[in-house]
Amino acid sequence: MSWDYLAVQVLNGLSFGALLFVLASGFTLIFGLMRIVNLAHGAYYLLGGNIAISVNLATGSYVLAIVVAVVATGVVGLLSERLLLRPVRGNEMLEVLVTVGLAFVIADLSLAVFGGNPRSLKVPAGLSGPLEMGPVVYPKYRLILVALAVLVGVGLYLMQRHSRIGAIIRAGVDDRETVGLLGINIGRVFMWLFVFGACLAALAGVAGAGILTMRPGADTDILLYALVVVIVGGLGSIQGAAVGSVVIGLIDSFSRVWIPEFSYFAVFAPMALILMLRPRGLLGRAT
Amino acid sequence: MTGRGSVVRGAAGAVLAVLALLAPLLSAEYVLSLLTLMLITALLATSVNMPAGEVGLVSMGHAGIAAAAAYGVAYGVKHGFGLGVQLLLALALTLLVSAVYAATTMRTNGIVFLMITLALGVMVYGVALKWSAVTGGQSGLTGIQRPDAFRTGPAFYYFVLAVCVLVVLLLHLFARSPLGLMLRGIRDSEHRMSSLGYAIAPAKFVAVMVSGVVAGVAGVLLVWHSEFMSPATAAFERSAMAVVIIIIGGIGSVMGPLLGAVLVVGIQYWLSSYLERWPTLLGALFIAVVIFLPGGLASMFRRGTARPAPGTVHPALDALLPSGWRRRTHEVSAPPEPPVGSPAIDRKGEGT
Repeated sequence: MSWDYLAVQVLNGLSFGALLFVLASGFTLIFGLMRIVNLAHGAYYLLGGNIAISVNLATGSYVLAIVVAVVATGVVGLLSERLLLRPVRGNEMLEVLVTVGLAFVIADLSLAVFGGNPRSLKVPAGLSGPLEMGPVVYPKYRLILVALAVLVGVGLYLMQRHSRIGAIIRAGVDDRETVGLLGINIGRVFMWLFVFGACLAALAGVAGAGILTMRPGADTDILLYALVVVIVGGLGSIQGAAVGSVVIGLIDSFSRVWIPEFSYFAVFAPMALILMLRPRGLLGRAT
Repeated sequence: MTGRGSVVRGAAGAVLAVLALLAPLLSAEYVLSLLTLMLITALLATSVNMPAGEVGLVSMGHAGIAAAAAYGVAYGVKHGFGLGVQLLLALALTLLVSAVYAATTMRTNGIVFLMITLALGVMVYGVALKWSAVTGGQSGLTGIQRPDAFRTGPAFYYFVLAVCVLVVLLLHLFARSPLGLMLRGIRDSEHRMSSLGYAIAPAKFVAVMVSGVVAGVAGVLLVWHSEFMSPATAAFERSAMAVVIIIIGGIGSVMGPLLGAVLVVGIQYWLSSYLERWPTLLGALFIAVVIFLPGGLASMFRRGTARPAPGTVHPALDALLPSGWRRRTHEVSAPPEPPVGSPAIDRKGEGT
């Protein structure tokens, strides 16, 4: 195996990990504050990707596709939170079950609206094509994914550490009641955070539609990866999601080449190992 | 208190039993096949219902265990092994996969248990899909035949019915055993049980193993019923459907899985011929039950105990939460209310 080949595999792993991070960060953010395991997160991803593809086909505009996909999925997230999750607020198990039902509905309606054939998003010429880096030639778009993930990660970090809303979220993770007693409308914070998470899932869908296909079942496939990433990294931790994404992305990339028949299993092995040795995940906090 | 209600319920049970026994005489071949499928689906749901109701562990990945067992049988048939070897393969795979489920989840509870079992289920699906040399990949394994003893529809129906009754009885005995009582204690307060010196993790391990074996039995029946095996058997939708069934039917109740399975399988098969968007309908029905009737449909027939009001927490579901979170969320969302809807808890209250 040559070094060039190895470098390409590493880049494959990192760029897939980047996509996973954008998806998993929304998932883990929602879990961290609201304790909601949003199993509709994969459905939001699929919805975002599909809307972007349709808008792009209809108008030819890439930017418009991104904006419409993110905003529309955000609205779906808003409605889900207001109408379906609000009535069972406070019971984690009922909330998970509601998101399961929601995932069923969104997946089925996506099949009805967008059809059952695999679709992908045509990336504009400026973002696609190969990029030569010395001996290694690599698709430009996949590197842009890495940049996007870094941007999202740094943005989330700055938001959490240096903004008022970040302070509220951090305080809410520790003690929701006290935050509520301080006169902060925690219900509203929940709502907007949920919408934000849905938007991140849609963004991941738009980004993912450039390298993967949007088809029935893509939602549960990607949800599995997001779950493994947050379990490995530690539930509720953004830094954990970053570490988990890189680890899982790399393992996935190499196992697809070396042991294609067991690539799912290779992704699962570190999860099982971590669950047995360190159940809270790499960077998770004890509950 | 128990007088008239138990008579009515006994009569309903007797009618149901007679109907179940006479079904092959009364129904057409395809209806009987559908009834058999309902029973098998109810059995798979029962395997999820046991740890959910008794220990408070809701699995979103039990279709993976059922599929492993079914692949054992299918692989055995494909390679010309006898029935004994087929079943041995199914048992070995069931125990292996269940042990993986149990070992990775025995220190967890609530939604973390749910997430891990979900991930495990999708893993099984992935292996079934990719390891095509053994599993046949996407196209699956065809040409599987059930044993000659129950070739015919009615014979197979009676066999499945007998297995279901036997499993329910055994699970009933298990629930009454010292270990079963301990598991219920863990459901109600894991913290207290651990303070009393009980070993929590091994108990949960055994509970998941037992439920895994039930799922394995359901898997074998399933492959005998469809006489075809594909990765779809392990799909997330199947596992989630089992949870949908027990929630709709009523978590922790004996008849809940049957009630839910009849409804869900019925919707799938009858409605799907009129309505293309039946999964949407099913999803919407599920959400409505979770929000408005968290005790499931079984709670509507339960006498003497009030139905939980919309939005309040069913005790069986409440017990699914780690105790620390439960206390906190209660203080926030629900003013202290007497727990309603769980006969087990009510009876205990009266006794002391």
